Amino acid sequence: MLALLPRLRRFAAGLARDPADGDDLCQATLIRALEKRELWQPGTRLDSWMMRMMRNIWIDETRARTRRGETFVDESAGLSVGGSGGQEETVTLGVIDRGLRTLPDEQREAVLLVMVEGYSYKEAAEIVGCPVGTLNSRLVRGRDALLAWLGDGV
Amino acid sequence: MSVTPEELAAFADGQLDEPRRSAVAAGVAVDPALAAEVERHRALKQRLASHFAPILDAPVPERLTALVGGGEPRVVDLVAARQRRAIRGPARWAWIVGPALAASLALAVFLPRGTPQGYADPALAGALDRQLVATQASDAPTRVLLSFRSESGQYCRAFSGRAQSGIACRDSTGWRLQATAPGAVPGQGDYRMAGSPAAAIMAQAQDMAAGAALTAEQEQAARARGWR
Repeated sequence: MLALLPRLRRFAAGLARDPADGDDLCQATLIRALEKRELWQPGTRLDSWMMRMMRNIWIDETRARTRRGETFVDESAGLSVGGSGGQEETVTLGVIDRGLRTLPDEQREAVLLVMVEGYSYKEAAEIVGCPVGTLNSRLVRGRDALLAWLGDGV
Repeated sequence: MSVTPEELAAFADGQLDEPRRSAVAAGVAVDPALAAEVERHRALKQRLASHFAPILDAPVPERLTALVGGGEPRVVDLVAARQRRAIRGPARWAWIVGPALAASLALAVFLPRGTPQGYADPALAGALDRQLVATQASDAPTRVLLSFRSESGQYCRAFSGRAQSGIACRDSTGWRLQATAPGAVPGQGDYRMAGSPAAAIMAQAQDMAAGAALTAEQEQAARARGWR
């Protein structure tokens, strides 16, 4: 599980749209995974199991915040994921972060699982709990929105 | 030939099954517009991958590694941790993390007869009375992780043992157990749990402590006063 931490942090940062929130999400996921470790079936992929758990915690959290009427996207915050480089790099990173923030959760998670985490459509669909075709179309819609946001300057 | 955007994305990701894969490949080969779409898809994928790459190389915060038993949990700077939390305000995840910690720090505890309900038994109390963090034997049945003073001024000690882990605070009756967790049993494999109870205990200690953990000299002085 230790070896998975960097990848879990990466997915969490993308999902929560903020590295600090991502680590909170990561922590909540680890605690839940440790509690439910009896439920993990040896021989199945531990990473998929934990990504699914993380994703479900995030969905619950989002719903709870919506109920509480909080706005959780701080539009003014220019942020960069792990970017420690020069000003120019930070600005470039910010564009992608802000683009990802504009996507609905279901599209963002599809984009992250396939294009960042490298899961197959089938694996990503299992993590999200939807049919492969649905995952495929969410990916395309998210990708197109992101490309439009980036002004095609990919 | 008609290719849907979904098919084209699946093709670009190497996810399209035959026979459609060959059909789309043939279409891409003769249609520059389709080829450009595939290229855009792959370029975005590449850009996203490099965007998130730094996080893979970044050091993982200790609060996360400690949870899965990555090395010994260090004695943390309690003051700094409290200040950080104060700045951030109430933890946004308290509603998830809180119950989980509470569950792992079960307050119910079985004690032998003769010990007041909720207090350390004689063996544990003896260890808490005598052992100092700096000098205790590394194979002691119960090891004290750190000592601190609670908000109410009591001396408290977080401990980890094979039978039981937890936090106890000294009052006029004895060492009152504030929280207990399962013992830290060395385990094997991916799901080694040894670090987890200790991490939960440390998190709890941070919440209870009024200041930094006691230094070796402060511990020694506190012991000389009988932890009162």
